[in-house]
Formats: sequence, C-alpha cells, structure tokens
Amino acid sequence: MSDYVVEMTGIVKSFGEVQAVKNGYFTLKKGEIHSLIGENGAGKSTMMKLLYGMYGFDDGVVKVNGEELTSITPKLAIEKGIGMVHQEFMLVNELTVLENIILGFEPKKGMTIDFDTARKNVNHYIDQYGMDIQIGKRINQISVGEAQRVEIIKILTRGANTIILDEPTAVLTPQETRRLFEILENLRRDGKSIVFISHKLNEVMEISDRISVMRQGEYIGTVDKKDTNPAELAKMMIGREVFLNIEKKKAKAGEVVLKVDNLWTSGEKEISKIHGVDLEVRAGEIVGIAGIDGNGQSEFIEAITGLRQVEKGKVYLGGQDITNLSPRKIRDAGLTHIPEDRNTRGLNRTMSIMDNLIAVQVDAKPFSKGMLLDTGAALEHSKELAEKFDIRPRDPQMSTESLSGGNAQKVVVAREVSIGGKLLVASQPTRGVDIGAIESIRSILQDVKEEGLGVLLVSADLEEILSLSDRIVVMYEGKISGRMDADEANEDNLGLLMMGGQDTSHAGVQEGGRDHD
Amino acid sequence: MQFSNIINASLIYATFRASTPIIYAALCAAITQQANILNIGTEGIMLVGAFTAVTVSYLTGSWVLAILISMLAGMAIALIMAVGHIKYQAEICAIGMGINMFAIAITKYLLNSILGKSGSFSDPKIVGIPKVHIPFLDNVPVLGDIFNNWAITEWFVIILVIVITFIFYKTVWGLRLRAVGRFEMAAQTAGINVNAMKYQAIMISGLIGGLAGAHLSLGYSNLFTENMTNNRGFMGVAAMYFGNAHPVFTAIGCLIFGFADSVGARVQAYGVPSQFVLLMPYVITVAVLAISMASKKAAEKKRKSSLTT
Repeated sequence: MSDYVVEMTGIVKSFGEVQAVKNGYFTLKKGEIHSLIGENGAGKSTMMKLLYGMYGFDDGVVKVNGEELTSITPKLAIEKGIGMVHQEFMLVNELTVLENIILGFEPKKGMTIDFDTARKNVNHYIDQYGMDIQIGKRINQISVGEAQRVEIIKILTRGANTIILDEPTAVLTPQETRRLFEILENLRRDGKSIVFISHKLNEVMEISDRISVMRQGEYIGTVDKKDTNPAELAKMMIGREVFLNIEKKKAKAGEVVLKVDNLWTSGEKEISKIHGVDLEVRAGEIVGIAGIDGNGQSEFIEAITGLRQVEKGKVYLGGQDITNLSPRKIRDAGLTHIPEDRNTRGLNRTMSIMDNLIAVQVDAKPFSKGMLLDTGAALEHSKELAEKFDIRPRDPQMSTESLSGGNAQKVVVAREVSIGGKLLVASQPTRGVDIGAIESIRSILQDVKEEGLGVLLVSADLEEILSLSDRIVVMYEGKISGRMDADEANEDNLGLLMMGGQDTSHAGVQEGGRDHD
Repeated sequence: MQFSNIINASLIYATFRASTPIIYAALCAAITQQANILNIGTEGIMLVGAFTAVTVSYLTGSWVLAILISMLAGMAIALIMAVGHIKYQAEICAIGMGINMFAIAITKYLLNSILGKSGSFSDPKIVGIPKVHIPFLDNVPVLGDIFNNWAITEWFVIILVIVITFIFYKTVWGLRLRAVGRFEMAAQTAGINVNAMKYQAIMISGLIGGLAGAHLSLGYSNLFTENMTNNRGFMGVAAMYFGNAHPVFTAIGCLIFGFADSVGARVQAYGVPSQFVLLMPYVITVAVLAISMASKKAAEKKRKSSLTT
C-alpha cells in the first residue's frame, strides 16, 4: 500500500524531436498542497497533463491510489478523482456557467437535462467553499477570477480529490490571488490533495507544504516548505546562482528614438486595455517593461509596431510620427521587432531558415533583382548569419520546422538584429529557450545597445528585466504603475508594482518584503 | 400590375412551400455547424436524396420506403464526408465540394443506367408524398388557401424544427454537441468523445439532408431532374449562418428566401425582368449576412476598446 495518492516515476514524453520530460518524478500525499515549479519549458505542465491524460506518456510508471495506470484519458483521470484547472480555461464561452459545470456529467430527467438538480448540486458546492459565482451568466460575461472559480467548482462536482492547478495566478489580480489561496486552504482542510504549478516563488513559499522542482524536463528534487527558502528554490530552478550576471555596460544614452505619448489601445481582456501610456526610449539604452503576463504588454507592443489600431495618442520613431502606420512602413522607419510568439509571428515554420532570415528584406537589394529573387545572395547572407549567431544546424536551407526553441529564436533574433535601424523591440526574447540560448540572446541585446540602438524589452521574467535594463517601467492593468532606474530596482519593489501596489519608491527595499498586505 | 394579385393569402402558402426544401437543407447544415463543421456538402447530400427517393418510389410504389431509403442514402454520403474529415483530417470545404460534384455525376449516371433516361425523369408510377386534405377547410376562404393540401413533409418540417431546437438546447446530446463545436478541448477534458460526437452529427445531418432531397423530388414536385436542387443546399447553408445555427432563426432565414422566391415568381408575370427576380434571394442573402456580421463586429470592437468603459 502506498502513502501517495499520486506517484509518477521515470516519466518520459517527447513531442516530435523535443523531449519535454526526460526523467519526470512526482508524488502527492493526501491532503497536501504540493507545488511543482520550474522555468518556462521545464516540463511541469506537461507532467501534469500526462497525469490528466491529455497526452499519452512514452515511458514511466503512473500510480493513482496505488493502482498503476498504463494509459490515461481525461475520462479515466476524472473517474480516478483527478481534476485539472488548465492554464487556458476549459470553458465554453457561449455556454452558461451552469452548462459548463455539468458538461459531460449532466443529471438527466428522461431525455432532457435536469437543470433543477444540477443547479442544486452546484449551489451546494458554491456554498460549501464560499465562492461567489453567478451560475446563470455566460462565461464571456464573467471575470477571469470568477471563471477560475467555475473551473474549480466544475472539478469538485465531478468528484475530484486531487486538484491540479496550472499556473493559476498568472491571470489573476492580487486580490483574486488572495481569494484563490483561501479557497485552496479550504480544500486542503477538506482533505483534497492539490498540485500547484507555478514559477512565482513568493506564492509557492506561501501556499505549499512540499515543493518539487523541475528543470529542462528533469526532476531536480523535492523539499519541504519549512526547510527551504526562495534563494535555494531559485537555484534549483535555474541550476546555478539566480542572476546570470552578464556584466551590464553603462548606457551612453543618446537622443530619444521612441516617444510614446498618451497611448490608448484596445485589449483582448479588460485588464489588458492600454489606458494612456507615456514612454521614451533613448538611443543606446535598454528600457525594460516588467509586469505580470496579460496586463497589456502585448497590446502595447502591437500598437507600437503597427499590429493593433492606436485609438488615441501618438507614437514617434526618431521624430517621425508612426502612429497607425502599416507594420511595413514602421519597419521602414527603423523599427525592428522580435515578436513574443516566434511560432505565430516570428517565423514561418514551414519555410527554410534562409527564407525566414530574409523574410523582411526579401524585396530589397541584394536579395531581389526586379521581380526575381537572388537566391545566391540570400544564401550567402544566411550562411553569414547562421555562423555569426550560431544557429544550428548551419545549413540555411533546412526547414525551421524541426529547430529547437533556442535555435528558432536565434533565427528571429539574427534577422531583426542584422537589419539595424533605430529601435529594437524585443518581446519575451528568451521565453521557452534553453539556458545557452538565453545567455547568447541576452548578450546580443547588450551588443545592440552598444551599437547605439534603443532597445525596448518586454519580459515576464523579472530576472531578465533586472539584468539587462538601464531603466525599468512596470505595467499593471494597462497603465504604467511605476518607473525607475535599474540600479534602484530589485525584485521586491518591482514585484510590488507588478501587483498594482503603490511605488513606495526607495523605501521598498525591505528584507523579505511581502508583496501583499 | 395589381398589388393584390401579388400579395394575397395564397402567397403565405407559396412562401412556405418554396421555403420547405431550404429549411430541411438548413437543418442539415445546422446540425453539423453546432459541432463546428461547415456542411458545404448539403447540396450534394440533398441531390442524392432526391434521386434515391424518385427511384425507390418508382420501383416500389411506396413513398414511405422512398423517404427512408433516401435518408439512408444521405447518411451514406455524409459518412464519406465524416471519414474524410474526422479520420483523415481533410479540409471540410474541399471534401464538401467534392461530395457536391460527386452527387451531380452519380445521379446523372444512375439516372441513365437505372432509369434509362437523361436530363429528367417523370413517370405516373412515381408515388409522391401525399397531401393532407382537410375537407372542412375547403369552404373557409382564407384558411383554406393557406393550410389546405400541404404535403405531409411540409407539416413535418415544422415538427422537425421544434424537435431539433429541443435537442440542441434541452438534451445532454445537444449540450455536448454545442460544447464540441465551440471549444473542442473543453469538451475533451470533460471526458466527452469528441470524434464520436462529430460522427453522430454528420450522420444525422445526412439523414436530414436525404429527407430534404426526398421532399424536393416527391413532395415539392414529383419528378427528378439533373441538378434539381439548384443551389437550395447552399441557400440552406446561408440561412443557417443567418440564424447562427439556431433552428428557429435558421428557418426564419429560409422563409425570407422562400418569400423572395414566390414574390419573384409573381412579379415576373408583370414584366419584371426574370434575371432580376432570380437575383433577389441572393442579394437578400448577401445583405442579411453583411448586416448581421457588421453589427457583431462593431459590438466586438466596442467591447475591446480602451476608450469605452
């Protein structure tokens, strides 16, 4: 008999040529909150998706309540009492909260759905855990925090005893995070076992009983919360001391290359609409935009680069008004852009490395001669870049389809950086790439700055912001909640601003300062 | 031109009569649409149904058998689409268009080889779908014009609209179908077999598409001609879009087409150019779809804007 409700050992999972999990190990005790942490791409979500049966695992042993499961489907997982709140909510927008909750487990009355019984059941859970949910509304009428509570209720009504939450706080405001933690503590008190996936150390330290760390698909270790500290966890996550410590070169800031004046733009979510942002980037400096994902960073960058309509305000590049120009004209004005998602906007992954490398200059000399392409020139240029930026494989005629995250990202970086111009916009430039590529991409950004370009860096990775930026602005709910020089910034005062706290400015450097009150 | 000759009580029946085949086609399209599968093949399924119905009725003398077999024929055609789309992941529009072309060709070929005719086939031995004669309405002026002598399948379409609405919005199957269509992953994580749902939707759609054809050839008329569906399948798809795959609103869309069609037939008699008349249903389709899409888009833009609160 096993003490564990879940036991996963020797787990292996590949997607194509990428090995997402190499040697996964995870155990869950009854009634504990167990955090699974790691950087983006460490394989923590994948591990839990395997447990929930979203994909089949290639190798390893999964035991639930001591019983070995050789192949898992979501249906089987639900039967075994496992429920998962996915990072992207599995809720149908056009259906009501109630319909979403009962989906797949509908109480029946003859041929029809017994909505009365369903309502009664659901309300029972809502009352028991003191959640506030309007079950008659459609999902697209409720807030993100409420939708997340709907997910939790949905799982509970299906009889889950093991609840997996995949980065649940990434989309929440601090107040909503607090409420979520209260709910989780209630659930633990009721004997539910909880897996909390995160990479936010302060949250993990607050909520967990035990903490497991993964790095690049491998299990690193498990520690008790009471025996550890954030620094140790960070070291386990990254594999060395937290800061990559690239020697930051002092900025020799020149004239203003990017001036954003009272910018307003639409947003995909309520909290990502941009409400009047002012920003300047000078030649020869890196300005970092910090913030929790989804607070408008993406929309802001899209507005500057011509991918989203500016509703109010002005954007100037080197004195030229580029507001609402086409992306093409904005590029011609001297802006280069490393988009946040290399797979949808950065690369055409069905085409070759070479095609991607010359994609934005394909109609300029020397790559085109009138209507014809000069493949020779393109090839030569691509070979040069592949060499200079260490893109592997070196053969530019290979398809980008099978490139690893790091090499794919290097193709994007090489293309944009080789153009030059006035301003480089780098959005999440190292997301989901390996440590080696992180280091080289970061040092490239430093070089770009040395060459006298302005760099606007957006990153959800605070450590990246801190180690690269000369000046830092923090974006919160579509506004800038604080600005400071890099040498005044640290994880505490930035963290506070990222959560919408007030800028207590230089007083924010308290030992172990907590991000909430 | 006398206005009362165009707009009178019999126009109501004329509208409904012209609409019925389109309503069946639209329901055929609506069922798959709820599973987020665009059934462009409606036209072809319907044509095969129409041919099968006439042939079976001619050979057996039974209109009931004709309807049943034509529904099965519709389902068989739909099954080709289902396997191609779900199992082999073919693009649904391409496979749907393939089905439409296949239907034209196969019916033409079988018309020749089984019935020995080309172009069209009509014969006294074809037993049509009976009309419901209500004797006491004979002497009632307006109601008699409107309600008497409907084909059984014309009455049935009303029932079918209600039944399908009920299925979509009140039953477990309907809820799951809508969940599959709107967010497949959510349905999958709820333990629903997404592919099974899609197969079922396409097969049922095929049954209704076959019925649409049977009604066209045995209820609406009593013959088969090559390509006799004449774009009614596509109009059904358009009406389905207009009604957002909700059976009742979809049927209303069909009635708009039927109305345009029957008014057109009447004004034509008064010298309005026939080309113009034939154009009307399509102009209305484009206008209606454009307006409904534009208003949806405007609402979306407003929701996302930073300038509105």
